[in-house]
Amino acid sequence: MRTLLFCYAFCSLLSAQVQYQDIVKGPAENWLTYAGNYQGWRYSPLKQITVENAKLLAPKWVYHVPNARGLRSSPIVYKGVLYITNSNSVYAVDARSGRLIWQYVDTRAKEQSVNRGAAILEEAVYFTTTDNYLTALDRQTGAFLFSRKFADEEKGISSTSAPLAVKDKIIVGSAGGDSGMRGFVAALSAKTGEEIWRTHTVPSKGEKGSETWAGGIEWGGGATWLSGTFDPESATLYWTTGNPWPDFTGVPRKGDNLYTCSLIALDLDTGKMKWYFQFTPHDTHDWDAQSWPVLIDMEWKGQMRKVVLHANRNGFFYVLDRTTGEFLRANQLIDKVTWASGIDSKGRPILIPGKDPTPAGNWVCPSVKGATNWMGQSYNPGTGLLYVLTLEQCGMYTSSSQEPIPMKNFPGGGATEEGGQVILRAIDPKTGKRAWEYPMTGAGRMWTGIVSTASGVVFSGDDDGHLVALNANTGKHLWHFNMGELLTASPVTYEIDGKQYVAIASGSAVFSFGLFEPAESMPLPKIKVN
Amino acid sequence: MRLVVVMVAIVVVVPLLVVPLLVVPLNAQHGRYLNESKNPAIGNPESISAGAKLYTTSCAGCHGPDGSGGRGPNLANRALWHPLSDEAIFNVIRNGVPGADMPPTKLPDGETWNLVAFIHSLTGPASENNVPGNVEAGAQIFWGSKAGCSNCHAIGGRGARMAPDLSSIGVRPLAAIRESILQPSKDLSFAGKEAVTVTLNSGASIKGIARNRSNYSLQVIDSKGVLHMLSAADIKEMTISEKSLMPEDYAKRLSREELRDLLAFLARQTARTQEAR
Repeated sequence: MRTLLFCYAFCSLLSAQVQYQDIVKGPAENWLTYAGNYQGWRYSPLKQITVENAKLLAPKWVYHVPNARGLRSSPIVYKGVLYITNSNSVYAVDARSGRLIWQYVDTRAKEQSVNRGAAILEEAVYFTTTDNYLTALDRQTGAFLFSRKFADEEKGISSTSAPLAVKDKIIVGSAGGDSGMRGFVAALSAKTGEEIWRTHTVPSKGEKGSETWAGGIEWGGGATWLSGTFDPESATLYWTTGNPWPDFTGVPRKGDNLYTCSLIALDLDTGKMKWYFQFTPHDTHDWDAQSWPVLIDMEWKGQMRKVVLHANRNGFFYVLDRTTGEFLRANQLIDKVTWASGIDSKGRPILIPGKDPTPAGNWVCPSVKGATNWMGQSYNPGTGLLYVLTLEQCGMYTSSSQEPIPMKNFPGGGATEEGGQVILRAIDPKTGKRAWEYPMTGAGRMWTGIVSTASGVVFSGDDDGHLVALNANTGKHLWHFNMGELLTASPVTYEIDGKQYVAIASGSAVFSFGLFEPAESMPLPKIKVN
Repeated sequence: MRLVVVMVAIVVVVPLLVVPLLVVPLNAQHGRYLNESKNPAIGNPESISAGAKLYTTSCAGCHGPDGSGGRGPNLANRALWHPLSDEAIFNVIRNGVPGADMPPTKLPDGETWNLVAFIHSLTGPASENNVPGNVEAGAQIFWGSKAGCSNCHAIGGRGARMAPDLSSIGVRPLAAIRESILQPSKDLSFAGKEAVTVTLNSGASIKGIARNRSNYSLQVIDSKGVLHMLSAADIKEMTISEKSLMPEDYAKRLSREELRDLLAFLARQTARTQEAR
């Protein structure tokens, strides 16, 4: 009996916490990682909002994040609480009413920058500050648990990505690659923040891979400013890496510049690199690989295969074997790509000569923003389609002979872009072909993401500041709402008391939508004061 | 009744605190000012110390020995509700307040700025002052049963979660921390302090601190640190206490030395303790 009582108390305690297995199961009423599940799908099994009733969507609440501009945070939702981050701050909001429960603002970080979101594990919410502290807070009260520094801003490193919580580890990345730094992925203890392992994305001199740098390896870049994905079966992390530095001139760093512009597969327990695949060797256009590595199992030449999908900024959509890193196929992601005529059988781009940046400027497609970028993509197992925001845009790339000085914000040249159009594309991973596309009006700014549901609805921001709902099978418009600001974050969906919500941050606020319900008059609460 | 408690607290406690406050070597301060003056006296320990002496002889009679007010306004909490610039304080000291009891002075500029520097320091973070006292003894008081602070408050994940987390309490001015201990019900304007008892339609009862409250919803942290998010439609009755849930007897419960040590401990709580590698 005593054991039973203990078990009851202990088990209820555990059930009130976010367990690793809860994250493995993926989203339902909760949304527990940046991308919803470890595989990076941004997909929800919720079905209340359908193709038929999406026209009844209405705003339920708005929470204005203090001092926010250009929010890029993708919310975490657990047990009816929505967690949204801004630079050096976290806000916990009642996900049914939008009322603030607690806020934590780190006033000691000197720099303000973007922050892409939080992580949650057991009783803690985790986020990182611009000066590279991992901070853990009590999920219910916001009470401070610990804060630990994991990198030195004096070495050009900042932190903007949402951490990824896996088992007993919090995986963090590094930003700052456009000013000179040495990128890494690190695993920190979820209990204390202590470092468990750190894997650099640019090797040290003499290490394997350093032969691909004729110079500049010390400050070579390779930032990891986006979260990664994780395969629980093989305990492998998949993380994309940033561009080499200086961005627009390759003269000081001849060679392929490993492991920049790559996808790296890391062992969860040790950080050891299992394999890498470099999309853009010796990049000179700032086409880092910061777009999601989406993990799916699919039929390939008659057999099921574990693959990783990756829509890259360089204009191509890749399929790799995620166990070995073997290149399987690449298709053009956007219509106009002028720097490479294709991808060869080993996965290396077939370069078109004369497309590097020049002092006078070189007009190249895609633009510096890339054919896609860090915005959340969505893979829907129901439709079997991957939904990706793409940008048809070209740009002028210039190089500079100026001596690069690390951390002086000098990218070795510059880039501008003109015109362009954002198009949401549904891609069949089996063929690489487009199932449908949804072109948008707007200024070609493209910074919002996507979520899709089991009921066949795709939610995405458009290039004009609308949240839109589309039919996941056809791309047909179902509903839209003018959010009044450029959207730079990705939507999520969650459920409370049997009601489905769709939430997304605008530039300065979080909105949550649900199906319209007539208001019911509420009597004033009976309040006694003593 | 509440007034009586407050008066008792002032009468009994304030005299005990005058000396510790005034002997604090006050370093650079950054209070909630409209703007920071460039006058070199601001943040200068020698100026602050000189200003403290002047204050004791010329100002404490009306503004309270520790700046907590009397006939004159509270200067220690002033910046929380009515921020002034250093220049404005200088002008008030120099010119007085016509029609009120505040007289003009003929102090030289330097001495006037020393006074301004001292008043400015009253609103700075306690962590930036070398608050005197035995920090280790203060820690024992915090975690021990006599004060029982950790029955409701936490620091660095240790302790209970209902009351405000004190991991960064050192960023508050010393006078504000002291007031929160001795007169917890005096200022309920800080978020997360309103004590509520809720009876639900189901008959269940929840007692805790309202983190947020409107006519339509309520977000409460109960004594176990558990969050309850309620719709007003689920609430049968709610009782709001005008008083903090925090005990109001610390002036009696703790000795002068114990209170000093507790303040010394709290003043050093600044959360980010792991410094750069």
